Order: sequence, then C-alpha cells, then structure tokens
Amino acid sequence: MSWVTIVWLCAASACVTLAGVHLQIGLKQPRQFYLWFAVMGLSAAAVGGCELAVMRSETAAQIGLAVRWAHVPLFILFVSFLFFVRTYFRAGRSWLAWTILADRAVCLAINFIQSPNLTYSEITGVRRIAFLGETVSVPDGVVSPWARLGQIGSLLLLVFLADAAITVWRRGDRTRAVLVGSSAILYVLIAAGNSALVYAGRWRIPFLISVPFTVIVLAMAYQLGADVLRASELARSLGESERARHESDRRLAVAADATSLGFWVWDARTDDIWMTPRARGLRGFPADERIDLARFLSVVYPDDREALRKCLDAAARHGGTFDLVYRIVRPGDDPRWIQTRGAGEVDADAGSARVRAVSIDVTDRTLSEKEASLRKAEVIHLSRVRMLGELSGSLAHELNRPLATILTNAQAAQRLLEDPAGNAEEIRDILADVVEEDRRAGEVIQRLRRLMRRGEIHVEPLSLTSVVDEAVDLARSDLIARGVTASMESPDALPSVRGDRVQIQQVLLNLFTNACDAMGQVDGARRQLVVRLGHGDNGSVTVSVADRGPGILPTKLGQVFEPFVTTKETGMGLGLTVCQTIIEAHGGRIWADNGPDGGAVLSFTLPVAAPEGVS
Amino acid sequence: MSTPGETVFVVDDDPAMRKSLSRLLRAAGHEALAFGGPEEFLRLVPADAWGCAILDVSMPGLDGLALQRELASRNSQISVVFLTGHGDIPKTVQAMKSGATDFLAKPVEETSLLLAVHRALDASRATRKARGEVADVERRLRTLTAREREVMELVAAGRLNKQIGRDLGIAESTVKIHRARVLEKMKAGSVAELVRLADQARAGRGRA
Repeated sequence: MSWVTIVWLCAASACVTLAGVHLQIGLKQPRQFYLWFAVMGLSAAAVGGCELAVMRSETAAQIGLAVRWAHVPLFILFVSFLFFVRTYFRAGRSWLAWTILADRAVCLAINFIQSPNLTYSEITGVRRIAFLGETVSVPDGVVSPWARLGQIGSLLLLVFLADAAITVWRRGDRTRAVLVGSSAILYVLIAAGNSALVYAGRWRIPFLISVPFTVIVLAMAYQLGADVLRASELARSLGESERARHESDRRLAVAADATSLGFWVWDARTDDIWMTPRARGLRGFPADERIDLARFLSVVYPDDREALRKCLDAAARHGGTFDLVYRIVRPGDDPRWIQTRGAGEVDADAGSARVRAVSIDVTDRTLSEKEASLRKAEVIHLSRVRMLGELSGSLAHELNRPLATILTNAQAAQRLLEDPAGNAEEIRDILADVVEEDRRAGEVIQRLRRLMRRGEIHVEPLSLTSVVDEAVDLARSDLIARGVTASMESPDALPSVRGDRVQIQQVLLNLFTNACDAMGQVDGARRQLVVRLGHGDNGSVTVSVADRGPGILPTKLGQVFEPFVTTKETGMGLGLTVCQTIIEAHGGRIWADNGPDGGAVLSFTLPVAAPEGVS
Repeated sequence: MSTPGETVFVVDDDPAMRKSLSRLLRAAGHEALAFGGPEEFLRLVPADAWGCAILDVSMPGLDGLALQRELASRNSQISVVFLTGHGDIPKTVQAMKSGATDFLAKPVEETSLLLAVHRALDASRATRKARGEVADVERRLRTLTAREREVMELVAAGRLNKQIGRDLGIAESTVKIHRARVLEKMKAGSVAELVRLADQARAGRGRA
C-alpha cells in the first residue's frame, strides 16, 4: 500500500459513506439538498477513482481513456455541487449556475467527440513521476485548446461560489458564508490551480480534483451534520411542545366541555365554518357535514336570524368583537338560548376575513332569569292587587260618585219631562252632565283596570304631576275617610321622566297608605300629606311624600326597605320592599328620612326622559 | 211639596253631585240651596233657619257628622238627612244617635230621597211647632204672679183646692180665684190642658 492508494481510497470511502448517510436522510425528508449532497459525494468518489486509474495507467491509450471517463463524474459533481449550493444555502445566481452547467455540458460533449479526451488533443506517452513516495503515471502529450473551456467553467464556479458566500454573509449567516467562501478558495487553489499548472506542463503531478472536493464534501457534511443534529433537537423539542400542546388542548377541551363552550371559526372568503364537536352538537350538526353560513343560520330561530347575520357580516367586514344572545331550534326540541362572543379578523392584504367565536348554551340561565323576573313581576302585581284591596272602599266610592250623580240627574230630567211646559234648556244641561259623569266613571274604571293589569313594564315619558294627580284622585276617598288632606308642590318646569305609569302610581299609593297609617293617631288638623316634586342630581326628578306622623326611629331608617319589617299590626312588611324593587328597576333610588317638623319623608328619584320628552 | 219658606240645603264637596241633587229637588218642587262644604253652610245659613239639610258624610275638613254636631249645639231646627258613598255602619249608628232623620246610600233613588226629605221637613216643622208652643207657654207663664205659679204647680200636681189652701196657708176661696186666673192667663180650657202646658214648660226649661 502506498500513500496515494491510502489517501485516494480514504477520500473516496469517506465520500461514499457520507453520500450514503445523506442519501438515507434525503430519501426520508423532502429536502432536495440531501440528495444533491449524496450525488456530490458519490461523484467526488468516482472522480477520485478515475484519478487513481490515471495514476495507475501503463499506456497512453489507458491514460487517455481514464481521463475521458473522469469527465463524466466531474460533470455530475459540478451539477450536484451547483444544485446543492442553490438548494442548501439558497444563494448563488441562477444564470451563473446555468452558464456553468452549459459550459460543462459542452466540455462533456467535446470530451467524447475529441480523441482521446477534452484535455488532450494527443497523448504521446506515459511519464512516470514520483508522487508521495510512489511512482505514478501522468499523461504526456498536447494539451487541447478546449481544455480552456473547462478552466472557464472552474473560474465561473469560483465567481458563483464567491457571490453565494457574499449573499450568505450579508444574510448574517457568517459560519456558512465562511464555509462556502473557503470551499471556493480551496477549490480554486488546489483543483483549478493544479489543473492549470498541469495543462501548462509546468508542474508534473497528477490531477488533484477529488481531494479538494473531498475536503469540501467533509466540510459540507459537517455543516449538514450540525443541521441534522439541530433538526433532531428541534424535533425533540417540537415533540415536547406538541405533547404540551396536546395537553393544553386536552385541558381546554375539558374546560370547554365543563363550561359547555363550543368554538367555531367562520372563514368568510371560503364561507366555511369549522366547529368543535361541542359547537356542532349544540346546533345538532353531524360531525362530518360541511357547514356554511346559510346552514349555520338555518337552525337559528327565524326572529333572531337577521340580527346574527348582521353581526357576523359586520365582524367579517370591519373586524371588532360582538356579543349576542339568540335562539336556535333543533327539530323536536325546545328552542335553546345561545350566547355567542366573537371577534372578526380582517386582513385586507391577504384578502382573508375570519370570525372566531365561542358559543355557550345559556338556556337554563336565561330561563331562570326570565322566571326570576316573572316572579318579581308577580310579587309587584300581587302587592298591587293587595293594595287595591285595601283601597277598594275608596275606589268603589270613587266609582259610585259619578254613578250616583248620573242617577240623580236622570231622575231630575224625568221629572222635568213630565211637566208639559218642560224646560228644554235645563234638560240639555242635565244630559251634558250625564255624559261628563259617565266619562268620569269610565276613567276610574280605566285607571283601575290599568292598576289591576298584569304584565311587563311599559316605560314611557311621564309627566309626574299628572301621575301624582291621578294617584291622589285614586286615593282621594280613602284620604278623606281617614281625615287626611293631600297637597302637591311642584316647580313650574319639571322635565318628563321615564317610567311605567302604573308602577309609579303603585309606589305613590303605597307611600300614601303608609303616610295615612302613620297619621292615624295624630290630631285632625295635623293630618297633612304633602307630595313634593323637584329636580334631583344627574338629570333626575325627585318625588317626596311627607307625613306629619311620629316619624321613623333613626335606627330604623335603614331597615324600612327590608322585607317583612313592619310597624303595623296588619301587613306583610312588603310594601316598601316592592316600592324599592320598582324604583330600582326604573334606574332610580328610594330612601327614607325624617322631616324638619317631624314626620317621615319617603323620597325617590326617577331618571329624566330623553330631551324630546321635556314637558 | 214643601210649605213656602221651607228650604232643602244640600252640602256636598262634589259639585256635580250637589248640582244634580238640587236639580232633582227643584224638579220635585222644593226650594234647594247648595253648599260646597260645612264651613260655607255654617257661614251663610242663619242659626234660626229651618228645613232639611242633605249632608255628605265624607267631606274634606269638617265632615257631615261634625256639621250635624255643630247644628245640634246651635239648637238648630234643621233636620238632617245623610248621604254616603261608604255606608259604613259606625258612622250610620253615630249619625242616627245624633238624631239624623235618615241615612241614605249613594246612589240614592229619587223616591227614597224625596221621602226622606219629606220626613225631615215634617220633623223640622214639628220641632219648629213645638218650639213655638213652648215659647208661647213660657210667655204666658211669665204673666203669672208668684202665688199664681205656686197654685198652678200644685194644681198640676193633682192637689185639691182645700189641700192647696192648707199648703199655702190661704183660704180655699182665694185658691179658687187664683186658679181661675191661672186658667185664664194660660189660656187653658181645662185643668187637664193646664197640666200638659205645665209639663211642656218644664220640658222647655229642661232643654234650654
């Protein structure tokens, strides 16, 4: 064994081994550069084999043939090297690469046209020289002018690599730039320089293309190895993060399930809605059905459909968040209440618009809220009915008055008609009064019916003076029967308030009843009830009902609105609680105080109606 | 039909009610005067007026019952008929105890109203008549001398002339003269009538 054999075999086997390793990687991964690298290693080994054949040649014919065939792996080496640099470093000018390939292709063609090969037009003999302590053969003959074409290719490769190195350096990838750059220098110094000198006949040593290439291959292999290592590191950490992601997905799924949340994403461009199983289940969609907006909306309660569509359209068009409650109807099932919160993401550049949303079934909550509000309405209604019961004598009297007047008037008219010289003028007056009184009775019934009405709050702009007047009218007979005189004090220009006439009157009647009860033991002349209207804070109107009874103990002032707190022998102690419920539902406040001359003052505020409602 | 000079007073805080009542009463041939409340009535109606007052029980300020009490304390000859929308028992009882002629619930039928008014007017008239007789008797009583009054009282007590003479220490014949003068002065046709007049006078003194 000689050094030549050892070095060339080592180089070749190193190349083949690395090529094999990277071929394996390249076949598993869809990365081109591994394959190009494998080709590069194999062709470098082949070039080395040819070089060894040249050095071992005995005759001119043998050496000519060896050099000719050396050009084949050399061509492949060029091709693979160029593609490797292009694909791996993503650098190098492609026109330069194609020029080099064209140059080498022409070289290869000439190589097989011209005899014995590209480099020599004629090989005269075999010269034996000493190389690395061994005698090796080198060709002796006329160097072909076409050999320059091969040298141009090598020079272009140098330019190509230098350019690629600069690009990579500029990209900030210094290590790789040094690798590309030093490969270029190595190649130029050893291979190109060697062949140039050999061609010129100045230096009689064998061609040394494979050895520098082997070094390049080794260097590249080192780089690739580092990459593979990094990739496997990455894969491992990816695996971990994947596991972590799965874990968090699972946690999210558990949490979403626990809270009955369903996620969904609407891609407005493709009109496709991706949904989690829960979101599908909520709407009764099968797991594999493709859902578009029309299908999505088809299960929404018809009355709610348009609102949801508008909401989603707006989110998809302008972005922004939304929060909406709507009903969906599944066949053979009661409507479900769904709350959906979501956000639109609009990317005008990418032309994409997505709406991501979370849905939750709030049926139970909504129903219990509705039930609670119904129950509250029921309590208010019942307490009103009860209050009306207490006032019934008074109300009956209120209704009786006009009826009594009508009867008396009618009988007076009958008498007047019996008189032949009847007074038509008087009878006309009587009939006008009958009509007027009948209307009055009708109004009382109307008011009563409103108070007895069961139903939702009907909020409208109200003139408080008229509301108080009506309430005083309703309680009039009761006030008289209890010997209480009622009066109202109001500033001239009082804005309208927003409220439900019946409920406000209920509060007033309740406060009147309390005031009358409080003054039950009071001297007749002191039995005065005053309703004061005034301007409150923050655009509200204040109503106070003041009596001249014994007042409220200061320690009890805070408790009067609590349920079942009462000072009366009869009564549930719910009156003021109901008043508080009503006033707070109106956005107002109610409180108790003692007046300056004794007696309790119950006051409440009501929000002023919108400006157009100013009276 | 009421005797001329007899008035029906209507006191009700509800203007429509008092207007219709006045109308009906006038159509039935009564003199009717309407007032918006007890205060107005007391201010405008003279204390010695007589007739019938139709009072609403429940009125702001002084109510019907208070007005009735006030009339009684003024020794009025006006008879009271109550009208009420409530018809509550305690007030009815109180009103009747205080001498109301009638207690009517609104709405009131014409016939019951007019009947009540008639009764009230009759009562007023009777009172007035009784009051007039008492005044007459008292005027006559004042013409008696002290001795004649003593004789009258003893006669009214059922004593015989002989007993009276003994009681007073005078002769029986003198008693007879006094007795004749008493009968003459008191315009009594018989001893029985004198007894009645003496009772009436005592009753009149008791009431005043």
